[in-house]
Amino acid sequence: MTGEFIDPRKEFGKTVTELAKDNEDIVVFSADSGKSSGFGDFIEKYPERYYECGIMEQGVVGLAAGMATAGKIPVFCAIAPFVTCRPYEMVRNDMGYMRQNVKIVGRNCGFTYSDLGATHQSLDDFGLMRLIPGMVVLAPQDPAEIRQGVKAMIDYQGPVYMRIGNPKIPVLFEEKPFEIGKGTVLREGTDLTLITTGSVTGAAIEAAEVMEREGVSVELIGMPTVCPVDEKLVKASAAKTKKVLTVEEHYLDGGLGTIITEVLSGMSDVFVRRHGVPKLYATTGSYEQLLDYYKLDAKGIAGVIREVLA
Amino acid sequence: MTDKTRILKLKIAAAKSRRNVLRMIKASGHGHVGGALSAIDLVTALYFDKMKIDPSDPGKPDRDRFLLSAGHKCLAQYSVMAQRGYMDQSVLDTYGSFKACIPGHPDMHKLPGVEANTGALGHGMSIAAGMAMSAKLDKEDFCVYAVTGDGELPEGSNWEAAAAAGKFGLDNLTVFVDNNGLQISGKVTDVMSMEDIKDKFRAFGWAVAEIDGNDMEQIVQVLDRLPLQKGKPNMILCHTVKAKGLSIGEGKAGYHFWNAKPEELAAADRELEEQIEKLTKELEA
Ligand SMILES: Cc1ncc(C[n+]2csc(CCOP(=O)(O)OP(=O)(O)O)c2C)c(N)n1
Ligand SMILES: [Mg+2]
Repeated sequence: MTGEFIDPRKEFGKTVTELAKDNEDIVVFSADSGKSSGFGDFIEKYPERYYECGIMEQGVVGLAAGMATAGKIPVFCAIAPFVTCRPYEMVRNDMGYMRQNVKIVGRNCGFTYSDLGATHQSLDDFGLMRLIPGMVVLAPQDPAEIRQGVKAMIDYQGPVYMRIGNPKIPVLFEEKPFEIGKGTVLREGTDLTLITTGSVTGAAIEAAEVMEREGVSVELIGMPTVCPVDEKLVKASAAKTKKVLTVEEHYLDGGLGTIITEVLSGMSDVFVRRHGVPKLYATTGSYEQLLDYYKLDAKGIAGVIREVLA
Repeated sequence: MTDKTRILKLKIAAAKSRRNVLRMIKASGHGHVGGALSAIDLVTALYFDKMKIDPSDPGKPDRDRFLLSAGHKCLAQYSVMAQRGYMDQSVLDTYGSFKACIPGHPDMHKLPGVEANTGALGHGMSIAAGMAMSAKLDKEDFCVYAVTGDGELPEGSNWEAAAAAGKFGLDNLTVFVDNNGLQISGKVTDVMSMEDIKDKFRAFGWAVAEIDGNDMEQIVQVLDRLPLQKGKPNMILCHTVKAKGLSIGEGKAGYHFWNAKPEELAAADRELEEQIEKLTKELEA
């Protein structure tokens, strides 16, 4: 960690804009969502490849899928529930079933629109998207991973969903190529495997450090690809520590924790606990208040680790 | 009550509603102010002059229903509801706070009197039409009033609702399109024009009218005319100014969501206070 914080939306939009210079197939869709998705520069540079459609997310997914049939690479970014729940069947059929090369990006994921309520919070997007056959689900964990993840997403042939947050996020990692389907061991340990993804990873790293000071050795795995998940890595670590805790800014049901539980279901000697948000319409408040309330900050995660080891 | 008194009283109530909006912004530091202030004259008139409601019994079966399809305009609804007695005015100071009953989009399970959990655009018209259908089925005479944004109209679900309301002859349903001309990305006519809005609704079998939605006299006149035509749902195209009444933000897309500075808030509040004083003098004269 360098102590630097960067706006994930800007990082995302900037990277797509850079890639669009050499890749003329990239087109960008907006549903009254473009500028807030970091596409200000793209609009200036490539107005002919920018489609502002107004507030019609279902229509946009169909338009994007149609363009993809002719070899274009459409990128559509808006507030997470409005590109996942809202146009779900279009994503499932027009992108998934038709196997089209469309890239959907849900921003302001998780609790980031904390005070706007359940219509704007996105705690089910991993679950919804991972049920679509062939859909790749990404949740980069820091600015470098967003940059590299966007490159990998554009290079990959097929439907992808990427989830990004909104408040500035800490720089955690060195820049390195993003491999879809691969997790990384962020820190080795022996007492417990903590598997994290996306926006909570900064807090998970801190929690592991807190536990280290208490004499607990946490093996921390960062999982920026939620689907298909890195089964090999998960199983190898679980075989070593025998205790696995997953953490995500998502419902307990359907997301990373569910996926990891499925992976480990054959290993009868491994204890698995999922940590996330109970499947309720969550309450409102500031982002920090909600992370504290649902124990998704470093303090909360450390507390859950203590419970698991007690 | 003469018409002049009626209008003046409503104008004062609308100005007080606007002050309440500022009060909530002050509490949280930010909010969707633009679309709330363009619609607030209409919302005030509905709650104070039109709807059959009892704030002390918000669940009364035969009450008229009001809902915001554009749920982000909730500051308009909360401010009017507080003034109308659905809650203590002090609740407004909890806007943006942890577990508030007046969150950033309305929630019927948190604040009695709120009729629907909107915030995702394009839901309200169908829900409102469904409420109006149940009134018809039960031979109840309550009416349903819904407000949509103009930027919201491209959502296809609106046109599914328009078709259904036309088919089922819902003359007890009135949809107000808050035609402030702006959405997040700029002018609605540049982003995705739905012109001619009146023709589109007419084509689905609606009766339509057009007013200046920030002119209390025109609002009251059109409300008095409802239903515009027996057997047809009503669409009132309300030409409004986004952020109306907030001098620094009027007609500016940038004031869709406002991160307010304390001195800006104070100045805006002073302006409204003066306006209320002036209107009160007029009323007393
Ligand atoms: C389905 C959906 N898509 C996107 C949004 C995000 N959003 C909130 S308000 C808004 C602009 C609305 O414009 P308009 O309907 O004209 O509202 P107003 O000008 O009255 O504020 C957008 C895109 C949303 N709330 N719901
Ligand atoms: Mg508008």
